[in-house]
Amino acid sequence: MVDFGIPIGAGIAFGLGALGTGIAQSRIGAAGAGTIAEKPEMFGLMIILVAIPETLVILGFVVASMIMIMLV
Amino acid sequence: MEYAYVNARIKAMKSRLLDPSLLEQLINKPDVDSLISELEKTAYREELEKAGVLYSGINRIEVAIRKDLVKTFRTILTLIKGGETETYLTIILNRWDVQNIKTIIRGKKIQENPAEILECLIPAGELDEAALTELVKQVDVKAVIDLLATWGIVYARPLTQHFKEFTDSGDMQVLEYALDTFYYQDALAKLKTAESDDARILKNILVTEIDINNIKTVLRSVRDRIDTEEVKRYFVQGSPDFDTEKLLSMMKAGTIEGVLKQLEHTPYQFIAKIPPEYIAAEKISAFEKELERYLVKKAVGQFMGDPLSIAIPIAYIWAKFTEVTNIRVIARCKVTEVPEKELREALISV
Repeated sequence: MVDFGIPIGAGIAFGLGALGTGIAQSRIGAAGAGTIAEKPEMFGLMIILVAIPETLVILGFVVASMIMIMLV
Repeated sequence: MEYAYVNARIKAMKSRLLDPSLLEQLINKPDVDSLISELEKTAYREELEKAGVLYSGINRIEVAIRKDLVKTFRTILTLIKGGETETYLTIILNRWDVQNIKTIIRGKKIQENPAEILECLIPAGELDEAALTELVKQVDVKAVIDLLATWGIVYARPLTQHFKEFTDSGDMQVLEYALDTFYYQDALAKLKTAESDDARILKNILVTEIDINNIKTVLRSVRDRIDTEEVKRYFVQGSPDFDTEKLLSMMKAGTIEGVLKQLEHTPYQFIAKIPPEYIAAEKISAFEKELERYLVKKAVGQFMGDPLSIAIPIAYIWAKFTEVTNIRVIARCKVTEVPEKELREALISV
């Protein structure tokens, strides 16, 4: 009997992290675009700010990987 | 409405407003030419250069800052195109329409030169420069009102209704009051059914403006001993805390001290702190200045409000307008060699 619980759990961990990242990046991206339109010199800082929510999906990926590696 | 983009952009625009240290430098400049040199180092450079082709001295500053103000407000309106937010922003910008119409009819009454009138206008509202130029060309007040009516501009309505009263009395205040009342009533009517946070923020500012206008009217009327029944018609309705009944009870106090006493436990109790010599001399301008400062502080203080709401555009519009007013005050004081102490008193500090 195949246990689907573990891959589904890993999928949820990764998927929700990605969803959170998407929501955060959409807001930060819009604000960043507005800021760069007025102050192009802020481009570098905005790239960093837009990238910060990536940590969510990376954590989700790590947790998903740990679930898959340790529990399967 | 996607506020993230718009408000981030407006906050970036805010960073180009003059900071207090730069304003201090402008105050310390000895004359208008050095003032222009200092302003050329700021965001006003572009408009100053354009204005420098046709104007010099204080006129150059006046034209440049006016054009910059209009350009800024038009940019904000372009960013907020569509939806209820545009309606709300238009309500704020319409105050300049009212101001411009008042200036034109005042100019027409004293038969001022059209070019002179045009220089005093700020085409930041719905009436753009072309429309205002056409209005200024009209021969008299009646022709201005007729043209507004032909274009279907809503402000023709209160002007037409009160025109006979104006011609009978010759009192400009009749038309000015009619315009003000119509502006506030129309704005509050548009916000009446709206339940959004944006509508609440805007309504709060408008009600404060109405309160301040009414308190100023009460103070002036008490000083000039004007009959209560006569003043009653000049109150602008729409404030829940300062309705006609409350304002009439303030009028019945009969003295400035009595009015100030009635303002205790209201948001406007701060004007009671004005030095007693101003109260004794019934110097209303000091009270008016304090009330205006309160309004500006409240509006600009919206920068600390919800960053994803209309609070940020409202705060920026007020901050920009205050900055332009301060530059005008400094420039005029430099031309007329007003002492620094008086200049500082005339500035609106935020």
